[in-house]
Formats: sequence, structure tokens, C-alpha cells
Amino acid sequence: MSAFLGPLDADGRVPQHQQTRVAAFLISAHGALARQFALALPLRIEAAWQTELNAQFYRESEIVSLLQRATTWMPDIALGYMAASWETAWLPRPIALTGDRNLAPAVNLATLAHAVHAAIRPAALLPTEASPVDPFVLALRRVEFESGRLLQAQILFLKGPELVPFRDAISAALENRHHEVRRLWREMLASIGIDARE
Amino acid sequence: MPFLSHGSYRIRYELDGPADAPAYVLVNGLTQYAELWAAYRDALLARQFRVATFDLLGQGVSDKPALFINQDGHVAVLHRLISALGDGPVFLSGISFGGLIALRYAIEHGKRLSGLVPMSCFAELSPQLLLIGNALRTGLILGGTGYLQDLLLPMNLSDQWLKPLLNKLDGVKRQGWLVNDVYALQNLMESFLDFHPITSQLSSIAVPTMILNGEFDFLTPRSLHETLRVEIPDSALVIIPEAYHAFTLEKGALTADLLARFAEDVLAGRWKGNKAVLIAPGEPGGELSPFPAGYDHLRAIPVRRPSP
Repeated sequence: MSAFLGPLDADGRVPQHQQTRVAAFLISAHGALARQFALALPLRIEAAWQTELNAQFYRESEIVSLLQRATTWMPDIALGYMAASWETAWLPRPIALTGDRNLAPAVNLATLAHAVHAAIRPAALLPTEASPVDPFVLALRRVEFESGRLLQAQILFLKGPELVPFRDAISAALENRHHEVRRLWREMLASIGIDARE
Repeated sequence: MPFLSHGSYRIRYELDGPADAPAYVLVNGLTQYAELWAAYRDALLARQFRVATFDLLGQGVSDKPALFINQDGHVAVLHRLISALGDGPVFLSGISFGGLIALRYAIEHGKRLSGLVPMSCFAELSPQLLLIGNALRTGLILGGTGYLQDLLLPMNLSDQWLKPLLNKLDGVKRQGWLVNDVYALQNLMESFLDFHPITSQLSSIAVPTMILNGEFDFLTPRSLHETLRVEIPDSALVIIPEAYHAFTLEKGALTADLLARFAEDVLAGRWKGNKAVLIAPGEPGGELSPFPAGYDHLRAIPVRRPSP
């Protein structure tokens, strides 16, 4: 088991079966976020913070579109089962916010988005020899870079004054989401020969 | 790889050397990780010390709390690590952010220490440091860990160190980039948002203290170290010639030698701080010399101190 993708081919490209699984996982996670942001986005923006929902929706969609086009895909019969387990994991989880149930959907979405943006670092899987001009390599770097920026909205919201009374519950829910997302990411990577133990 | 427990979190540490030897505990700066002390470990082990290094909560291989880290947590982790060392003499040193944690430990648990070495350190945020810190945080947010490293490298290291590495800086940055995550670094930086100056508590640090400051440290300049020298009773300020903020990386052999000599002097009863201002030698083993009498060590040009 290696800590990085590969072995690369002579042109510094990631093997197709690894590209397929990594891209499928990322599309599943960011696609779920895009759908959930789309549902949360009103037709007409009434409040300033909703502009961020718009930005998040389009950035997530951009990530999905990029990965669909930059990946060299190959048939993978295990993906059906794996994708089903991933999609189940992205569903909202019950969160105990005593006294304010209206916040729960937003907290659910923010904790999932925080975990996906913070815990998944696809560019860190690239060995130093990876081709700097390969579309898949560039896509992984872009996904990680954009995730760091998208994450800021979740940090601002989850650390914000509105949620101070629920700090312990928020922290627990977020740690659980991180744990779950990291586990799925680690299992997917192990299935393609990568040891991502922390 | 051994771990300590801190609540539900795991702290990765490394402990080497004989259990009955005096111990040095080294605390990382913000973007560092424990392996960066490897040369210190080797040098101090050769001088018959026991050496403990660790990744702070949120750093390297230690667990990274998703949303909140506070300075009290770092002090608690350090306390747990030092408590695990037994009853022998313990010398504590930290650089920059780690130096601040070491200072706070010395204020809260000073009786457990035999000596303290804050390096590139501060007890309060000057307007410059506050604004630089905010700008570095914005850099991290907008450009990621790599951009933060791009800002810190030229600010904290000399041309002499950087020049031969200019074509391979990506390799220099890679391990730090791999082991440190944006959100975790951001949490560490944001633990400063509620920073309360500790200057007024420094006088309670009774242990011998050697303060190390790079001659050209721009990030935490001489004036911030001067606060430590003036307030800590048994202290001396040692200026590292031609060094910047990250002199522990650039001048490892010299710094490790200074750490060992300080501890040896304290253990032999030779250490006298006297709030002196000293200049370190250029090479390990050289003599420390007093700052020229009558001149102002806070200035970058030779200006005479006003007569008292």
C-alpha cells in the first residue's frame, strides 16, 4: 500500500481505475452538496447571506462538471454498491439543537460541507512526479484549492454568534461528520491500494 | 508512534533518551511538525539529555479538532506530556506560537520546570504583529497552506538559506503542506482571536530563562523579546547573529548547542540571568559576548542609550 496515487504511467498520469474511483467519490460528495445547496437556494435572494448559497451551489456544480470531464473513466462494477453507501452517508443526520429546530437543516448542510471541504484532500494524494499538465491532476488540485475557500462559509456559520448557545452540540455533530466522511474516503482509497491512515 | 490522550483527542509525541536524564521538551511553531526537531533530538541526546517532541493539537499527526482549539488546550496537552516525564529536571523550549504556549506553561506550572527557553516569542500582540497575523490568516484562507508557506519562508529565513533552495522550494514546503490542513491551521490561528496579553504575569516566572531572538527577526522583533527580558526576573536575552524568525531551522546546530549549554549551566549552578543582553557566537561552541555597553540593543544602528 502506498500513501500516494500510482504507480503513474510514463507520462505521469494516474492509473485509470484510481482516477475512476477517486473521481466517483468526489462527484458523489460534491454532487450531494450541490443538490442540497440547490434546494436551500431561494428563487429570489432576499438576504445577504443567501448570496453565499448561490456561490456554493455553482462552485460545487463546477467541481462535479470538472471531474466528469477531466477524468479518464473505465468500467468499475464495484462502483454501484460503493456509490449507494456514499449517497446514504450524505443524508441529513438528526442534530439536537435544544429550542431551535429551524436551524437544524442549515447546521446539517454546513457540517456535511465542512467535513467534505476540510477532511478530503485529493491533491495530497498526488506524488511529486504527477504530470503538472494532466487534466485529472489539475482537477484534483483545483478541487482541494476550491474546497479551502468554500470551507470559509461553513466556518463562519458554524462559529457564528447564532450558534454559540449550541456550541457543544455543533462540535459533536461536526466531529461525527468528519469521522464518517474520513472513514468513507479512507475505505475508498484502501480499495485502490492507498493507505490514508491518519 | 506513541500518542497521549487529551479528552477524546490523540496527541502524537516522541520521547527519546534515558529516563533518568534531564529532559528537554520542544514546542512547535504554528506551521511546524515534530520531525523538524530531528537534528535537535540527535544533538541533545548526544549531550545526555532526554528529548520530547510532539505535534500540537491540530498539527501534523495529532488529532485536529474540526472547529475549536484554544490556547488552554495546548497548555493542558503540554502539562500532560511533562507530567509523563517523571520527577527529573525538565527544560522547556518553544518557538513563536510554541514559545507563547511555553511561557503560559511556565506561568501556570513553573515549579515543574528547571529552565525555560522562549524563542522568537512574544507575550502580547503589538499592532504590527496583530496586523501581520491577520494578513497571514487571510493569506491562508484565500491561497491555502502553500500560499501561507510562500509568505512565511522569505519573511523568516535568510537569503543565504533560501538561495540554494530557490529551485526546489516546492520540495521544502511539501511535507509541511502534506501534514498540515487548512482548517486546522486556521483553527490554530483563530485561537489568537481572544488573545490576552500575558506581560503582567511574566514576573511570576521564577525559573532560569534564556530568551533567544534572531538579529533580523521581522515577525517578532527585539522589542517583543525585550518585554520578556524586563519582566522575567532570572532571564537573559541572547541575540542570534544574522538570523531571522525561523532561526531554529536555519541555525539548528548553534541553537541546539545553546540549549544544551543553558541547561548544563543551570544544572551546575552556573547560570546567572541578570537580565543580561548577550550576543550568541556564529558557530556552536563559541563564546557568548555581552552586548556593547552603553549602546541600545533595541536599535538596528549603533545608538547610545540615554544616561539614566
